[in-house]
Amino acid sequence: MFCSAAIQKFAVLAAKSHRFHPALETALLNPTKRPRKMSTESSMKEAFADYAEYLNQLNEKRERVVKASRDITINSKKVIFQVHRISKDNKQEVLDKAEKYLAAVTDQYMSRLVKELEGTDFWKLRRAYSPGVQEYIEAATFCKFCETGTLLNLAEINATLLPLSHPPLEPFQINVLDYLLGLADLTGELMRLAIGRISDRELEYAQKICRFVREIYRELTLVCPLMDEIDDMKSKMDTMLQSVVKIENACFSVHVRGSEYVPLLGSSNLSFSLLGANNSDL
Amino acid sequence: MKRLLHNGPLRHSLNPKPYTPFSVATIFRAPVILTSPSHSFSSYLITNDTFPSLSATYCCCSSMGESGAHSPSSSLEKQFEEFRVQLEDSGRLRERIRAVALEIESATRLMHSCLLLVHQSRPLPEVLEKAKGQIDVLKELYHRLAQVLSECPGQYYRYHGDWRSETQMVVSLLTFMHWLESGCLLTHSEAEEKLGLNTSDFGLDVEDYLVGVCFMSNELPRYVVNQVTAGDYDCPRKVLKFLTDLHAAFRMLNLRNDFLRKKFDGIKYDLRKVEEVYYDVKIRGLTANDGSIGEQ
Repeated sequence: MFCSAAIQKFAVLAAKSHRFHPALETALLNPTKRPRKMSTESSMKEAFADYAEYLNQLNEKRERVVKASRDITINSKKVIFQVHRISKDNKQEVLDKAEKYLAAVTDQYMSRLVKELEGTDFWKLRRAYSPGVQEYIEAATFCKFCETGTLLNLAEINATLLPLSHPPLEPFQINVLDYLLGLADLTGELMRLAIGRISDRELEYAQKICRFVREIYRELTLVCPLMDEIDDMKSKMDTMLQSVVKIENACFSVHVRGSEYVPLLGSSNLSFSLLGANNSDL
Repeated sequence: MKRLLHNGPLRHSLNPKPYTPFSVATIFRAPVILTSPSHSFSSYLITNDTFPSLSATYCCCSSMGESGAHSPSSSLEKQFEEFRVQLEDSGRLRERIRAVALEIESATRLMHSCLLLVHQSRPLPEVLEKAKGQIDVLKELYHRLAQVLSECPGQYYRYHGDWRSETQMVVSLLTFMHWLESGCLLTHSEAEEKLGLNTSDFGLDVEDYLVGVCFMSNELPRYVVNQVTAGDYDCPRKVLKFLTDLHAAFRMLNLRNDFLRKKFDGIKYDLRKVEEVYYDVKIRGLTANDGSIGEQ
């Protein structure tokens, strides 16, 4: 009954991100008379029909955002697992494939999120999409580090999202808080990578990772108390410190044990053996 | 179909604008007003046109880190420096918002204490007159809040939690007052108008309004009981009709299992209590006319 009027009104409502335009509302409901008083059941119901419409649209949108966020999460994890398949010999092909996967996440899943959120108040549904965005940042920064040894900036990631947007709507951009939270998770993956590289005898790579993670940790300690929600970041900082320490301890072991340090079973370097044992004994 | 929450024309981005790169050796903390980058010894200051300006003074954070010889490292530092400044600014903004929200809360408390006199059967016009005095105060405070928020467009919902519960309280008092005066429900847009929020980007959140209405309903059982005690035997009938209609209207909403849903669930208990009072009065023949609910 009042559906189309309500939707039109909510387009205007949306124009100011959440407010109704009173003149428009009364025009739609009572084109010729003064606004009716809410004394009768039916006029209360008219108003609530509009509120119902608003809530329905909001909740449906929220659901779509949550679904997009979940898809982004799952597929970003695939990118991360792909990068972890790196070894001495196959680096470039593994990274190429990872880049392809990442591009697919951006084009297929981030694009859906962008489409839902562009032109709106990005903060209203943040709880719905934040996990997905954090995972995406983790994957993207992970790839970038493995390729170039540098940190992918927030500005750079946001630049990759711009082609997905539809002007004149304000393009969806990742905010600094989600970026920092995603970055905190990145250090965990880097820790796994470092340990893996040490097992693969790539000590310099592990040390490079160690320096990088230390720097991120250092920078984040200054930023953590300034975040909107300190608790999220605080627990991530604790985990991050553990990751840093794990990497440092692994590098220390390599350093101290020097030539004793042998590769794991399955290594292609057959001249080493675990503390003198033959490969056949293992 | 038009999008919900559509902001219209392209608006200010949340990202800091790109700035001209410069090499950083060491940066020292000094709360100063900055106009342009200046070189002194090995310290560099950051210009303030990098970010949306939220305050006149900017802090540089100290980081006696490595020299700017490795450009990846210094670009990493630069980025985090930006973040620190951004987040400090938003922290300050949040403090200003909280300050206004606390003032809103205290004006609301004054209004509430005026309205509580209605349970002591003071004459209605007198009670309403005093309570209404606070409306202008609130209007002014919300205007100030809107002004603070206008410094960071597009972030209403980032800080919304800082004034959410205060606003819900305000709406509940306004709707209660409106009902006492007119017997009608104050609509969302009428509430916005009373608070002067219908003209700017800063509006009244629909869910805040609905929660406020639920809080108002919580007041009604107590009001009815005290009115009957004071001799107004027609009150229960009026309140019952109103609350029945309100509950029916609320039932049109599809809610999630959130705070609003909980408050909505509370309305039926208020309704029951009012029904019991109405019944008590009716069967004892205390009502002046034995009119049914349908009558107005």
